[in-house]
Amino acid sequence: MPFDPTDIALSVVKIAIVLLALLNVTPIMVWVERRGSALIQDRPGPNRVGPFGLFQSFADALKFILKEDIVPQTANKLLYTIAPAIGLLPALTTIAVVPWGRSFTLHDIHLFGRTFFVQPRLFEPIIANVNVGVLVVFALASLSVYGVTVAGWSSNNKYSLFGGIRASAQMISYELALTLAAVSALLAAGSLRLSDVVWRQTGYFVLFDTIKLPAWNCFSPAMWLSMIVFIVSGFAETNRLPFDFAEAEAELVAGYHTEYSSMKFALFFMGEYMAMATMSTLITTLFLGGWDIPWYNEPATFLGFLLSVIAFEVKVSIVLFIFVWVRWTIPRLKYDILMRLGWKVFLPLAVVNIVLVALFILKGWI
Amino acid sequence: MFEYVVFFFFAAVAVIFALVVILHRNPVVSALSLVVSFFSLSVMYVLLDAPFLAVLQVIVYAGAIMVLFLFVIMLLNLQHMSEPATRPIQQFLGYTTSAAFAIGLVYYVIKYAVFTAMPSGPFHTESSAIGVALFESYVFPFEMVSILLLAAIVGALLLSGRTTVRSEVQP
Amino acid sequence: MIPTQWFLILSAILFAIGVCGVLTRKNGITIFMSIELMVNAVNLTFLAYARQFHQLHGLIFVFFVMAIAAAEAAVGLAIFISLFHHRETIDVDEANLMHW
Repeated sequence: MPFDPTDIALSVVKIAIVLLALLNVTPIMVWVERRGSALIQDRPGPNRVGPFGLFQSFADALKFILKEDIVPQTANKLLYTIAPAIGLLPALTTIAVVPWGRSFTLHDIHLFGRTFFVQPRLFEPIIANVNVGVLVVFALASLSVYGVTVAGWSSNNKYSLFGGIRASAQMISYELALTLAAVSALLAAGSLRLSDVVWRQTGYFVLFDTIKLPAWNCFSPAMWLSMIVFIVSGFAETNRLPFDFAEAEAELVAGYHTEYSSMKFALFFMGEYMAMATMSTLITTLFLGGWDIPWYNEPATFLGFLLSVIAFEVKVSIVLFIFVWVRWTIPRLKYDILMRLGWKVFLPLAVVNIVLVALFILKGWI
Repeated sequence: MFEYVVFFFFAAVAVIFALVVILHRNPVVSALSLVVSFFSLSVMYVLLDAPFLAVLQVIVYAGAIMVLFLFVIMLLNLQHMSEPATRPIQQFLGYTTSAAFAIGLVYYVIKYAVFTAMPSGPFHTESSAIGVALFESYVFPFEMVSILLLAAIVGALLLSGRTTVRSEVQP
Repeated sequence: MIPTQWFLILSAILFAIGVCGVLTRKNGITIFMSIELMVNAVNLTFLAYARQFHQLHGLIFVFFVMAIAAAEAAVGLAIFISLFHHRETIDVDEANLMHW
């Protein structure tokens, strides 16, 4: 089939932007986590490397690169080496179906002082706007269980095995609640594509004929239950406190990555923060209105696109800060209480919410 | 052109990792190779205009059933138990029978599975079309499958409990 | 547009590899995995034919096959676990109480 070089070039640009953003999340989040936790715990935090400790991430990266890479003798070499890669893959690829800005019509591109005139086309800031949209996210999230399981097992260490098995059991349990909680947002949008979900939220709820609320899913009472279920299951899926049995720092040495050092540990570390960032983008898209700027109709131009990208970034940053905030505030749950929550509380709540949203749609209130 | 490259690459991956499944002695490596094989089959499903089933294949097969297999292998610690070698006569007969089966099957497919042109127009396989078919023509099997899954859950729970635990509970 | 025959040939090869696994291995879990491989080869055949004749019934059938294979995997692995508890081995040749 004839390939349009402009389309290919635009796709490469989109992939480059998203990849750069995602790879830069880890250093920034490391700094936010350390200074944020210091703020919550009333201590200074890293403040020696650069102003406000801003270059701490560089120091960490240098440490990871220069540390000795120790491989246990009795570990299964092949699986031990590829486990961090398996853990990183879903974190990198899931963001391909998330829309991160408003689509606009592209007439000409101004680059390096020259102007290229292209066929007017719709530039959709989403790497893969597939028909089955959000299911791709859930498919890749279910592959992230393998990184934890294989790492825990191949280290040939009972603490790693316990951490790995417990974490993967937790992840597969909360996947169900996650999927069903997202279904209610998808029901309201009537489509599986995430771009349709965001377009559905660009509008207004008019209350009492005076107050205009943006039509985001977080302002619609039918979705509150599923928003809570989705956010909590998002914590469980990404192995963040209060659900971090994978690491369980005080209990299991370091859980599934006990035996990992230097660059392999850095890959796990990066994978966790990237998964956190992807989950934040999902929460933003499904419930906080995605790239929609409240009370402002973005025009379909480059300026509107830029403003919507900035709005998206602001929302994702707020959700990421909430991730950090919760981590240093709430203690870890006991494992059986966690599993009971996942199966006996969140799963029925998500199902009830689907019925509720369906009722609201039937009555035309959404 | 691009489709052919994708098809051949992922067909090769599927066949090679399927061979690893049946030939490797470590069951964990077999299970992980099967996951890779399922993933490449999922790509085949996308090439066959069925993206919904492709993601379903990854979610259900590669993401849930194989995790179950891995849990059982890891918890029963089956890799340290060396599998006794299959008797040579059984191995020989097994390999030759399946090779003859493969050759016969491929020969008959090439000879008899010749198709006329496909019907024109697009093939509607969106999730909405599948949903409509599931809830209109196939609603009875759909509900029966849910009861079957319930029976499977109850059966699995009952079968995997230890008999010693039950006798301890009774006073 | 890739010819349907190629998908059928791939499915035939995968099915034969599954048959080989069932016939030559003694580890019960590996035999079970070969059976799952055979089921997936059949799924591919169904989808190839569904696309060839533009009928949605093939896709619905694959949907049900996936659900049933999931149930079968759960129950089959539970049976293996209970066999392991009684015999301390997963070798299928040891499950021979009904042998004459």
